[in-house]
Amino acid sequence: MIQTLVPRKVKVLHRFRETPDIVSLTLPKVGTCVPGQFYQLSVLGYGEAPISVASYTTKTVQFTIRQAGTVTNALANLKKGDTLYIRGPYGKGYPLKEYEGKNIILIGAGCGVATLRGVIDYIIHHRHKYNDVFLFFGYRNVNDIIFKKEAVQWKEVFNFKTALSKEKSTTCHDWTSGHITEVIEGLKLRTKNTGVFICGPPRMINDTVAILKKKGFTDEQLYLSTERLMYCGIGMCCHCMIRGKFTCKDGPVFRFDEIGYFKND
Amino acid sequence: MGVYTLPRSQLHLFLAVLSKRSPVYVPVKRDAIRFEPYNGTIDFSDNAYFPIKEHFFRKRETILRFDGQKLITVRPTSSKKIFFGVRRCDLTALKHQDSIFQKQYKDPWYKAQRANTILIGYHCATPPNKYCFCDGMGLEEYQDLMFYEQKTQFLVEVTSVKGAALIKKYRRFFKKANKRITDADKHIKTRKLRKRDFNAIYDHHAWTAGVNKCLSCTACTAMCPTCYCYELHDELDTLKHGTRCRIWSSCQVKAFTRIAGNHVFREQREHRFKHRIYHQIQYFREQHGFDLCTGCGRCIAACPTRIDWVSIANKIT
Repeated sequence: MIQTLVPRKVKVLHRFRETPDIVSLTLPKVGTCVPGQFYQLSVLGYGEAPISVASYTTKTVQFTIRQAGTVTNALANLKKGDTLYIRGPYGKGYPLKEYEGKNIILIGAGCGVATLRGVIDYIIHHRHKYNDVFLFFGYRNVNDIIFKKEAVQWKEVFNFKTALSKEKSTTCHDWTSGHITEVIEGLKLRTKNTGVFICGPPRMINDTVAILKKKGFTDEQLYLSTERLMYCGIGMCCHCMIRGKFTCKDGPVFRFDEIGYFKND
Repeated sequence: MGVYTLPRSQLHLFLAVLSKRSPVYVPVKRDAIRFEPYNGTIDFSDNAYFPIKEHFFRKRETILRFDGQKLITVRPTSSKKIFFGVRRCDLTALKHQDSIFQKQYKDPWYKAQRANTILIGYHCATPPNKYCFCDGMGLEEYQDLMFYEQKTQFLVEVTSVKGAALIKKYRRFFKKANKRITDADKHIKTRKLRKRDFNAIYDHHAWTAGVNKCLSCTACTAMCPTCYCYELHDELDTLKHGTRCRIWSSCQVKAFTRIAGNHVFREQREHRFKHRIYHQIQYFREQHGFDLCTGCGRCIAACPTRIDWVSIANKIT
């Protein structure tokens, strides 16, 4: 009997605090996953939360969790060696195979960068298969920047730009001030043979898509990673439905023409 | 598979004998008509207020127990049940539920409740109330036996192997009839929902008539025989022990799409109101090829403000 809703026990292998409210947990790998997919993590007594894969490694899997609610706070308070429960992976990942030999643009904002981290790791592992790779990440303040260590390497390998929307200090010029959407608006991007993977808050995704479409990108080139309330992860509980599409099963990565702009429905 | 007759006077005797071996759920008039174990009375005056869904996809199902961070699995239990007097809309609704909980996913808790169930249908000669709209909603045969009420007797149509075995076992009540049940006999004439591509009329202003009256009270989803949304919650008995249980959920409340950080995706009542209707008659069809809704009309009958969304949708040109 397949008990799809019953999770498996795992132990925290490594814990790292990225920012005051974001924590990365490394767990042993369960099943095979691709970047963009997610797992349901749970601490018994608190509940379950869908967390996306933020790594591309063979034996472990990393989750970068923002402390926003009950479960994510409980997850963030776990220490190395603590027990938690996991089930998954669920959903469809980013179409990385489809974009082999082409250019990739990754646009992320806030904690949305965590999902794209898996894509970056994948590309680093298969660097010869991809042409130009651009990273555009936006955060609020310097303190909100995640993956600072990894970013040092990214800067060498990729075209990397960070924008900080609310940072006032000007001591270091590793970033542009303003929203990431403004940065993209001011750039010339080649649209031919390019895929754009976007992850962030709904409004940022809507704005980014509008800008990219103005620049000549077609609907088929844009991939969005979406977030919804989820319970089952397998397309049954219906909480994650976007106009008839299940975020957990048909997504969480959607091609833009599948769901269109985020609306209130 | 054959048609039999059962004299009206013999019905109660048959149900009494049947209920000796396993509980027979029949529609009984209490505060409203509910399916309850047979106790000498039966009421066919209206469709049951509550559908039989809650006996299979239960309101509360324990998925697992825990003691601290130790997980204890719960084995689903099962018992034999017979349902008598289930109308065609509810039988089709059960088929739709089966297609989700048993075909698409093998849900062990649903399967345990659903196994060992015998379904005896009751054909509506006339629509039981003015809210029904099952005509044209693609009702299907999903019962083991079907009862057709006539003046002095019931015509009993055998529609499955299980049903044939039941007749064989209680052969003394039934007489073989030399009749055939035609498609015309199976047809129930009710008002109709006009089928179309509902996506094209999503933003139509006529919906506001319904939206303005909606209280987001969730009665429609609670009474619906096909709604299958659920939530998983950890409930604590003590500070350490507790259960993770699956409970019914309703898309009519804001909490349905509220994520950590208090963002609500379907913030406005309009979108929640339309979401239920569109899932029933548009989204589900896009995925599975048939409508989820079976036209029982309970969402209208149970609605405190009687929002007749079928006539609203039909009026939109």
